[in-house]
Amino acid sequence: MVKTITTPELNIDQLLDKPWVTIVWDDPVNLMSYVTHVFIKLFGFSKEKAHELMMQVHKQGRAVVSSGSREEMERDVQSLHEHGLWATLQRDDKI
Amino acid sequence: MSSFEKVGDSFSLDLTLDEAQILINLTEQLLELLGEGDFFHHYDNSDPLAQLLSMPAEIVTPEDPVLLRLLPNAYSDPEAASDFRRYTEPQLRGSKQRNLRLMREELTILVDEGHGGVIENIDSGIWLKGLNDLRIALSVRLEINEESFDKFELMPDDEPAKSVHAVYFWLGWLQENLLESLA
Repeated sequence: MVKTITTPELNIDQLLDKPWVTIVWDDPVNLMSYVTHVFIKLFGFSKEKAHELMMQVHKQGRAVVSSGSREEMERDVQSLHEHGLWATLQRDDKI
Repeated sequence: MSSFEKVGDSFSLDLTLDEAQILINLTEQLLELLGEGDFFHHYDNSDPLAQLLSMPAEIVTPEDPVLLRLLPNAYSDPEAASDFRRYTEPQLRGSKQRNLRLMREELTILVDEGHGGVIENIDSGIWLKGLNDLRIALSVRLEINEESFDKFELMPDDEPAKSVHAVYFWLGWLQENLLESLA
């Protein structure tokens, strides 16, 4: 006889190692210099990298600014909202 | 002309009395909209038990477009957005209220003296966020878009909307000025 073991809850996301992403959306209000400043402050990007991402938001309407676990992305979105940037998180659909 | 100045490691802000009054007016209007005092009022909010008990079953998505822009949905899926809002919105709202209250406090000291002047030791992080939230709030009401500045410049002086647009663009100038003094 064997002991019944309870089936551990499977976390499909973790199994597939499917990351989540934080997306910042363009708006006609936030100053370009402010968005760059916030990217440097929150994500520690270089000036060049932060400027590049800001331009991507401005020209393409959105940019992925970070990726990782869902919890990490929720924290990033919350920080971006505290700074007045328009941000959402979602599963990375490129994979 | 109002401006921020970096003095050593700290910042100061030079304002005329009119400018300080405009800023107080705006911060108070936004505090009112955010529901000043509705959150974290009668208990110590750092107490984990208080946080647990005070967690509402649901926080409805704001109907006011200004609030929806300041406290936006984090997910496109409504259920996930609502769940996230329930856990995080009080904190987000509280952080915006704290920034505005601090600004109001500093501005009130200046206005109570009855003249313009310099506010010393400005917390640049708080002012950047607070000014930005004021600009966002005005932008929603004024329906600001990429063409708004050109339209503003062509407005006749007796157009009632002109002065509010002027305040909006002045706030942008002020925020840019603070960012430049940070660099």
